[in-house]
Parts: sequence; C-alpha cells; structure tokens
Amino acid sequence: MTATSQRILFWGIVWFCILILSVPTIIVVGASVTTENMIAFPPTGFSLKWYEEIAMARDLRQAFVRSLIVSTICLIVSVPVGTLAGLALSRFRIRFSNAIQIYLLLPFTIPLIGSGIGMMLIFGEWRVLGSLWPVGVALAVINLPFIIWSVSSSAAALDSDLELAAASCGAGRFETFWFVTLPGVMPGVITGGLLMFVLAMTEFLVSLLLTDARTVTLPVQIYNNIRSIITPDLAAISSVFVVIALFAVWLLDRLVGLEIFLKSK
Amino acid sequence: MDLFNGALDRFWPSRMKPYSGWALIMPALLLVGLLVLGLLQMAESSFHTLDRATFLPSGDYTLENYGTVFESATYGRVIWRSVLGALLTVVFTLALALPYSYIMVRTHSATVRKALLIILFLPFFIGQVVRAYGLLIILGTSGVVNDALGLVGVEPIRLLFNFPAVVFGLVQYMLPFAVLMLAPALTAIPRETETAASSLGANWLQSFRHVVIPMAKPGLIGAGLVVGTLALTDFAMPAMLGGGSQDFIANAIYDQFFRTADQGLGAALALLLVVLGSVFVGIVISIFGAGTLGMGGKQ
Repeated sequence: MTATSQRILFWGIVWFCILILSVPTIIVVGASVTTENMIAFPPTGFSLKWYEEIAMARDLRQAFVRSLIVSTICLIVSVPVGTLAGLALSRFRIRFSNAIQIYLLLPFTIPLIGSGIGMMLIFGEWRVLGSLWPVGVALAVINLPFIIWSVSSSAAALDSDLELAAASCGAGRFETFWFVTLPGVMPGVITGGLLMFVLAMTEFLVSLLLTDARTVTLPVQIYNNIRSIITPDLAAISSVFVVIALFAVWLLDRLVGLEIFLKSK
Repeated sequence: MDLFNGALDRFWPSRMKPYSGWALIMPALLLVGLLVLGLLQMAESSFHTLDRATFLPSGDYTLENYGTVFESATYGRVIWRSVLGALLTVVFTLALALPYSYIMVRTHSATVRKALLIILFLPFFIGQVVRAYGLLIILGTSGVVNDALGLVGVEPIRLLFNFPAVVFGLVQYMLPFAVLMLAPALTAIPRETETAASSLGANWLQSFRHVVIPMAKPGLIGAGLVVGTLALTDFAMPAMLGGGSQDFIANAIYDQFFRTADQGLGAALALLLVVLGSVFVGIVISIFGAGTLGMGGKQ
C-alpha cells in the first residue's frame, strides 16, 4: 500500500516530531545530574548533588508541598461535582441539554488568561486571594470538562438495565446508586481524577495569576527562577515533573489504555 | 443504607424525579458560574479608566479603554504578532501532526503505535513551563543545537528570544493536541478506500490529496481551530522563549494588570480576546457541531 517515497517522507516527519517532543525532556533529565555549576549537555560526570540541593532548598520544597495541597483541593472539588454532572448528562433527560453542554465547555472556550483574570478579580472582591484553596477551586473549574467527559463516556457504556434490575430486586434508590451506578462508572471517575490531579500539579498561567510570593506553587516557582538564572537545580526539580508524567502515562495506559484516544466516535 | 434511602425519600421524593438531572448537574453549573461572574466583573472594570492622579479606577463609566486598544499602535502590533504567530503555528503543527497521526493509526505494529502514543502523552503531562525550560536549554547560545552546528563549522547563532523561537515553542507545545484531535478522524477512514484509490492507479500523493485529506477535513479544521485559539491566547511560550520582546496578547494583558496596574485597560484587552476566541469556537461548533467535544453519552 505504501510507496517507498511516502514511507521515507512520513517517517522522516515522524522522527522529527519524536525528536522535538522528546529531546527537551531527555536534556532536562540529563542536565540534572551534571557535576558542574552550569547547565551542560552531555553532562560532565554524574552526581545527584543537585537533587540534594533541591531537597534542602526551602522555597522549592514549600512550593512543592503547596502544589500537592492545591492539586488535592482541586481533586476534592472536581471529583464529586464532575461525577454527578457526567451522570446527569448521560443518564438523565435534561431539557436544554445542548445549551448546558455549551455552557459546561466554557472552561475550554474562554482563553485561560481571561478565566484567570476573571477569577482573580472575583476572588479579590471576596477577599480570599492569598490563600491556597481558591487556587485549587480555580484549577477545578478550568479543567472540569475533562472529568465530565471521562465519567459520561464511562456511564454511556454502562447498561441501564442493571439499575432497573437492582431496583426490581428491591434496592432503594440510594442503594442502586451506591452499589450499581457508582461502581459502574468508577473507571471514568478514576481516570478523570488522575487527569485533574496531574493537570493541577503542572498548571501554570492561572496559578501565576492567583498566587503571590507566599502562596507560589511549583510551576510558578520554576518560572520565576528561570527568569533570574538557569542553574542545574531547576533541571533537577523539572525532572520531578518528568517522573510524575511517566507515572501518569503508565497509570492512564493501565486504566483505560492509551489506544482509546485513537477511536473515532 | 436504609437511613440514606429514607433521607433520600424524605428530601427528594420520587415525584421530584423529572428534576433529578438538574439537581445532579447544579454543582457543576455553579462552579462554572465562577467564570461567568469573572467575565462580568471584567466587563465592569473595563468601563473605568485609570485615574492618573490617584492611581485608582475612576468612578465614571466610559468606553475610553476600548478606544485606547483600537487606536494604540503598540496593541495593533501585539495583536498582529499574535494572529500571525497563531496562523504559522497552525500550518506547521498540522503539517507535522497529519503524517504523525497517519503513521500512528495505520501502522500494523502495536508496539510502534504504543510508543508513538507514549511519546505524545508524556509532554502533555509534563507541563508547559518545564517543556519551555527544556527548549531554553537546547536553543541557548551554548546549547545542544549550537554545539551540533559548531561541529559542522557553523558559528553559534542566536536561536532564542525571537519570533521564530516562539513559533517553534508553540508548535512543539501544540503537537500532541493536534495529533489527538486528528487521529480519530483518520481512524474513521477505511483502509479499503485508499487501497481502492491505488488499485485504480492513483499514486500515494494523489490518493492522499483526493481521498485522505478530504475525508479527514473535519478533523483537520477542528484541530486547526483548537491549535489556533490556544496559540493565539498563549502566555508562557512568548514570555519564556520571546524574552520580553515578542509579547502576545496574553502577555500584554498580564503587563497591564501586574506592571502598569491599569486594570481597566487590561480588562478591556482580556474581554476582546475572549470575544475573539469565542467567535473562533462559535464557528467550529456551528459548522461541525460539538462533535468530539460533546459530553453527553446519547448519540
């Protein structure tokens, strides 16, 4: 089917893509183990001293803890809200459901700078800027469509006869929900929760707008440090994100299989 | 359990059933309502100019901020740069994403497919700041690319802090989005259609041009518009790879809020960007329907 010229051209482009997608990551990880005080690739020698350095650095450690807190808040807010919304959209007849879907896509259609500034003004008005929870709530808002998708596609695959069967066997409405519907959509809830957590860990722009010097999260801290000077300790802290990403991809592959993203609807 | 059932029956009796869907979706509606409130607040601020005497927003309502945006040559340049950057990003990203998705969908080897998927997803989860940081290291004057050029005798060149660097960063950033939007469209094209085209004597270029591209058109346009809006409104790549000299609209908005502290002007700019973005998205949805963006399970 494929002519040689096509194969050469396409694979050439694919290799170029692989190069530009992976080389930055490899370089960052490589640069983090250098023994020099300057970023160098290939690294001169091998040492983990920059990892020691970041473990000792108070500002980075605090920023990391703040990122974990923010992501956890995002998870606590988005999982129940997103799960219920996903169920409502796939299991119930709702009037104006098209309009509701467009409304619920606002987090994706409004540019992030607009959402971020808007929430910054609102939280400022409410005098809650400067604490961590508004950041977590904001990140739950801007990524909400991810978990709604994930739950509703899981719910669509669940046979509604199961719920009817439970009900006709005498299960109350709450029991049916708790023992049949909820376990049925659990894969979607877990996948969505994973996405929400990792995306909150790495989110940058909205966090930049909603944090100050006392509440700065890790991606923002990295950004601030890059502006002053590029040193290998930043490469080390960036490698932490690479590890998180590797774990997330592995988990996503185990849970739903990456191939699901190739399916046509 | 009986307790919960009882509570449910008391507070949400069966006759309320037609409203159950609404009750479940209400928290999400309220949460997204934060964005709507934010937009309203932004609209409100955009009608007040900055009083240069007190450095507080003045009390009068005026459209002056919008006038400033439209008249200013600086903003004209920033908007033009963002639009041009977004268009170039769309063209380059699609040119790279189409062959990538094609190979990924058509390959017979499950291992190759998995590897291409992992390479795509990893950057997606790494986050924009760390990715831009990697590009900074590579493109720096003593970076890998310049080292490689030095080996073949080329003098070090300045690869960073210019317009092409920002566009390159954006293309690298958008590539996974574009491939993931294109792949389902290519999956939907049966292999047999291409086989038929080639058995009728079409070479691969012809069958690609007359079969694959037309059939993948919804995916191409969808991916193009998503990449376009994300690139148009991006902040991190222009800020980090442009080094302050290559601001896009988002950077100008940020500066108005955090450098000049002119909230009104910043809000006016942000609102214009939201409108620009919504027009784009409106076009996509009205032409193609919510399509792959739809959230309901019903077909």
